Amino acid sequence: MSRLRGHVSVSTASAFGLCAVLFLIATIHSSGFASGGNVRQLLVFSAFIGFAALGQTVVVLSGGLDLSVPWLMAFGGIQLSHWAGDGMPGGVAIALVVLAGAAIGLVNGVGVAWLRLPPIIMTLAMGGLVQAYLLSLGVLNTGGSGVPHAAEAAASDRIGPIPVVALVWLVVAIGIGIVLARSAAGRRVYAVGANDEVARLSGIDVGRVRLAAYALSGASAAFAGVILAGYVGSTYLDIGAPYLFASIAAVIVGGASIMGGRGTYWGTVAGALTLTVLSAMLPLFHLSDAGLKVVYGVVILAGVWLSQSGGALVARLRQRSSSPTPASPEVKSVEP
Amino acid sequence: MSTASPPLERAPRGARLSLPRIPLGTAATALLLLVLFVVDLNVQPGLWDVDQLGMLVQTALPLVFVAAAQTLALLVRGIDLSVGGVFAIANTMTAVWVGADGGWLMLIAVLAVGLAAGAVNGLLISYLNFQPFIATLGTWTAYSGIALMILSTDGGMVPTVLSDMLYASWLGIPSSFWIVLIAFLLWRILRASRFGHQLLAVGDDEERARLNGTPVRRVRLLVYALAGACAAAGGIMLAGVTSTGSPTSGDGYILLSISAVVIGGTSLAGGRGGFGLSLMGVFSLTLISDIVTGANLDVWVSVAASAVLLLVMVTIRALADRRTARSAA
Repeated sequence: MSRLRGHVSVSTASAFGLCAVLFLIATIHSSGFASGGNVRQLLVFSAFIGFAALGQTVVVLSGGLDLSVPWLMAFGGIQLSHWAGDGMPGGVAIALVVLAGAAIGLVNGVGVAWLRLPPIIMTLAMGGLVQAYLLSLGVLNTGGSGVPHAAEAAASDRIGPIPVVALVWLVVAIGIGIVLARSAAGRRVYAVGANDEVARLSGIDVGRVRLAAYALSGASAAFAGVILAGYVGSTYLDIGAPYLFASIAAVIVGGASIMGGRGTYWGTVAGALTLTVLSAMLPLFHLSDAGLKVVYGVVILAGVWLSQSGGALVARLRQRSSSPTPASPEVKSVEP
Repeated sequence: MSTASPPLERAPRGARLSLPRIPLGTAATALLLLVLFVVDLNVQPGLWDVDQLGMLVQTALPLVFVAAAQTLALLVRGIDLSVGGVFAIANTMTAVWVGADGGWLMLIAVLAVGLAAGAVNGLLISYLNFQPFIATLGTWTAYSGIALMILSTDGGMVPTVLSDMLYASWLGIPSSFWIVLIAFLLWRILRASRFGHQLLAVGDDEERARLNGTPVRRVRLLVYALAGACAAAGGIMLAGVTSTGSPTSGDGYILLSISAVVIGGTSLAGGRGGFGLSLMGVFSLTLISDIVTGANLDVWVSVAASAVLLLVMVTIRALADRRTARSAA
């Protein structure tokens, strides 16, 4: 376990390192990149990814994947406008939207934990259902007036020089970091992700861990949708579309294993910052949208390779030198 | 479980069980397709006309090929998100590089580009040990960027040979039927070949396939390369059907192809299923949206029905699998 932690901190640190290097390159290239205004902007954009990827991190750590994140983000914005349009106070509407997001995520959890559906399929179908629901509302052409002031304030207010969103994100990251690393609940998440059969045999309620992970993902994605809608000032169905990629990429660039059991939320924070700095700096190098996408894809692959190959490569070399035919690491579940 | 099975002969775990199970699943999917078809015939009586039906099949052609790509990836226990990017590259290349006067050779070259793009996925997954999901997530973005470089907004000219072929009829049957038939026959040939056996062996139990002497890495590389070519064929088909190129046309097909393949009955766990099943999945989804259009329902009904169908089919299979697993124990 301590060796495992060692790898994690190395990959989290290297993700922050990658982000810092990119930021430095951009700043050397054009000094305005490090200006207060630009850094604030970067933090706010990173927070959108950070919240979208918050539950995703826990879901991935527990060995799952949540493809419904973009639709829950759209839900966050559109449902908020809908309820606020009906005269509900902004703060109440935000709280209710986040709760509703948790409920939708819970249904994902039921499908994965109880019906044992593959997470990709369950969350894909749930995304479709949420999309259908939003289409049926028929309020997709809501203008800026539809987003309540509370959401706009949440996205743009500052305390001193720092945006409120970034502060909230920091507090949440510290909280989630402590829960994952120090609490029994956190250890259960890692145990389920590492090997759910072993976790079950050691007395962990695997189903409950999964339910909680997906519910958290639903809530955090809905909240990300709320602040994104507040920032944009309007809502539309595809508002979350880029975050399917971003929420997963942030987790992976942050050094988590897509197979579960390995990673940290701080890694995801670094991943979110890296993705944001990268997409903000590439235009400085006169890359078109097209070139930006190509570089984005390549850098992400390189980042994943760097953050994951370090520990894995060492382990594989060690394994290879000790036994010529490595056994399958998967432990097949055996029904008693 | 027998460990002493000769190489190249597919001996799935519990071959005894697979006999009653697989045909049952196929029958369920076929029944679903039949029911949807009958409903659609009632909603859209025009479908009794074979040309009308051909037009419906034609709208499904792009998804047919993307689903073929996705089937290949799922069969080796992988996934291919880059189909959207490869699709877009092929689609824009057809509209820009091949152009109105281009011939078949140039279209084959586009397929070769798809093959190469798929091979890159295969290299990342087989030789650099990337998770399929991650590797293809990265290449999807990169390939979408390349498609945007080829064509920044919708437009371009599609080769006339392609659109003529798509709107032609042979022996009184619209060409779209023939294309689906040829694709299916190609799959049957592939499946019966040595490579087809290796493909299923790798998906069924990679470790055993390796011990049996299957070149697992090479098989996987080839599978992803073929998937790239299939996705490119989908992009070419869409260009032919719509007579224009679009750099973002592929993105909608990624999750749709996964839905179609899983509704058909190919398992995410690899080694089980096939293109024939995926075809049924594709046409089920196509019929659903046709029924919704024909009955003048809102578009959300179609989205919801597709999602519910996916959930129901996959739940039924999960429950059936669990029951057979329990009765085997």
